[in-house]
Amino acid sequence: MTDATTPAPVPPPGPGAPRADCLADSAGGITFDIVVVDTAEPVLVLRRRGGAGPADEARLPLTPAGEGHMRAVLPSTVELAEGRWDVYLGERPVEPGIRDLRALIDRVPDEEGRVNVHLPYPTADGRLAVRSWVRGPHAEAGGLTFGEGTCTVDGMLYGAELGPGAVAEARLGERVHQVPAEGGQGGFAFTLAYDPLAEPRPVDGQRLWELWLRPGPHAEPVRISRILDDVWDRKNVFVYPRHQGEGYTAAPCYTSDNDLCVRVTR
Amino acid sequence: MHISFLLHNAYGIGGTIRTTFNLARALAERHDVEIVSVFRHRDEPTLGAPAGVTMKHLVDLRKNSPTYDGGHPDYTKPARVFPRGDGRWKQYSRLTDARIAAHLKSLQADVVVGTRPGLNVHIARQARRGPVRVGQEHLTLDSHGYRLRREIGHRYALLDAITTVTEADARSYRGKLKLPGVRVDAVPNSVPAPTVEPADGAAKWVVAAGRLTPVKRYDLLVEAFAKVVAARPDWRLRIYGAGDATGNERNALRALIEQRGLHNHVFLMGTVNPLEPEWVKGSIAAVTSRLESFGMTIVEAMRCGLPVVSTDCPHGPGEIIEDGVDGRLVPVGDVDAIADALLGLIQDDDLRRRTGRAALAASERFDPVRIAERHEALFAELVARGGNGRSRGRVRDALHRTRGGVLDAVYAARYKAADVLRKGKPA
Repeated sequence: MTDATTPAPVPPPGPGAPRADCLADSAGGITFDIVVVDTAEPVLVLRRRGGAGPADEARLPLTPAGEGHMRAVLPSTVELAEGRWDVYLGERPVEPGIRDLRALIDRVPDEEGRVNVHLPYPTADGRLAVRSWVRGPHAEAGGLTFGEGTCTVDGMLYGAELGPGAVAEARLGERVHQVPAEGGQGGFAFTLAYDPLAEPRPVDGQRLWELWLRPGPHAEPVRISRILDDVWDRKNVFVYPRHQGEGYTAAPCYTSDNDLCVRVTR
Repeated sequence: MHISFLLHNAYGIGGTIRTTFNLARALAERHDVEIVSVFRHRDEPTLGAPAGVTMKHLVDLRKNSPTYDGGHPDYTKPARVFPRGDGRWKQYSRLTDARIAAHLKSLQADVVVGTRPGLNVHIARQARRGPVRVGQEHLTLDSHGYRLRREIGHRYALLDAITTVTEADARSYRGKLKLPGVRVDAVPNSVPAPTVEPADGAAKWVVAAGRLTPVKRYDLLVEAFAKVVAARPDWRLRIYGAGDATGNERNALRALIEQRGLHNHVFLMGTVNPLEPEWVKGSIAAVTSRLESFGMTIVEAMRCGLPVVSTDCPHGPGEIIEDGVDGRLVPVGDVDAIADALLGLIQDDDLRRRTGRAALAASERFDPVRIAERHEALFAELVARGGNGRSRGRVRDALHRTRGGVLDAVYAARYKAADVLRKGKPA
């Protein structure tokens, strides 16, 4: 699992860098535990990568927690804009320690409206960051099953209800390919044939079709992702069978942002 | 006591490094402990330097370091002292021969501990008189080739003690080699108590962790899990780890997962360090190896409160797990038995939780403090015996060294002859 985005423009943590253990709760809160703090300003700072506004920084006060530990809490009620938030102690990058994320496994969100995910993870260059997703409504992909040249996606829809005329959309730039979606009791399901995604022929290079769910004819489309567990980048972990069509190969895949796609290649 | 460990590379990742760090850290509570790493290729140990332990190195392979040794002319000349039969021979050189010799000849310590056969041979041949010499076997005698076993059988006579990680291997050393006066003790590897809360047995996940190499037989686990999923599709499996120099089963396992239609149930997670927070995401651990020198992951999982289903393979699992009490032992290579044992724990929530609690309690015997006490007692006894009281007398040493000199020449001639034969063979 790698951090595919551009690294932040600061050096990675060196020897003696502060190290934080993280404990995630199922509601989206995180407790950070730092072993030794020799800083004048005991504040844990979260900065959104690529952001520079006041909303792109969250400051969490550190309080003594006994045995030389300092503790900061990111409450589940704090909404971090979607993205990657690097963690600093003052201006120093922080190393990831033990990340106890068991509460995030197979999570069923209970919050009304938007789904908030705060997932602490180690970046490729060895720093601690928090991946944040803010989705309302949210379409969570579940199991994928396969037929002859087709893929069926099952999932759960949060913050919206699937109505008559619901469709799933595969999108590639301006092109939109729709298939009917059905559901009930918060779930959704649709079957996508690969052949139409391989049109027009020939398939040159790679076509990465994004999958969206439109709960009703007039509803806004919802990006289909998988964010309700502890896997911050499932691109190389959730791997699906490839279909060999005439003149093309197709398979569902996740992006490094955990969005579900269908990749069509020659 | 002043205790000096000699380690291949303290800056990498591996079971020997981890267990040496655990032991050194625990001993450092009461003793003066150093780890001397033959190689150093990075500034900080990947696994984190053990607290209170002095770290030294003999050959610097950090390219940006002012003391970089990679350009030394002797660095590319093949080693003569480090035995060829040791799998790491190619990394050793005339430079390591000399550096290790200089270190061992000047070593002011009460105990010097080698951590692999090649280094144990160095200690037997080159340590000055004085320190107690202990050779650790982290694999098993049987896992070594004929050439290395022969050399061990001869050289280890100059050690004071050999420690193995299982009783089974200690029996091999006592029975298959003639090493009169050399004490052979089994002391298992230690695993510290995890810093995370133990698993509560509720998560419907099975967890496995280890290198994705053929010896681990993860193909059997995937096959067994197909049977599990047929009965309990709500349970899933995570396998942590990557391939290494001895093989990479990742693609083969990926293909098998696809073939069995398990892409929604079995996941290859890649390498994750530390593993503790990953174990506790599961409720059962699985080991399907055909060989485990010890079975470190079994103890790690048990210390996290997971019952382990393991093959009863040589050498470790049967000495760690009490079948039916704190885990399950199943025959090697038996897919049905693995699936049945997993399902037995999956179908019975109470049994799973009870077995997990028993695993948590039973695995306390592997705590570094308790394991360190066993090493400490052995070291102290050998040090106390010391000087003239020691089983290895000065005369016997001298005799052995003279014979050793003759044998060195024999070994050298034999290797040379073997090389000529090899080169003469058509490719």
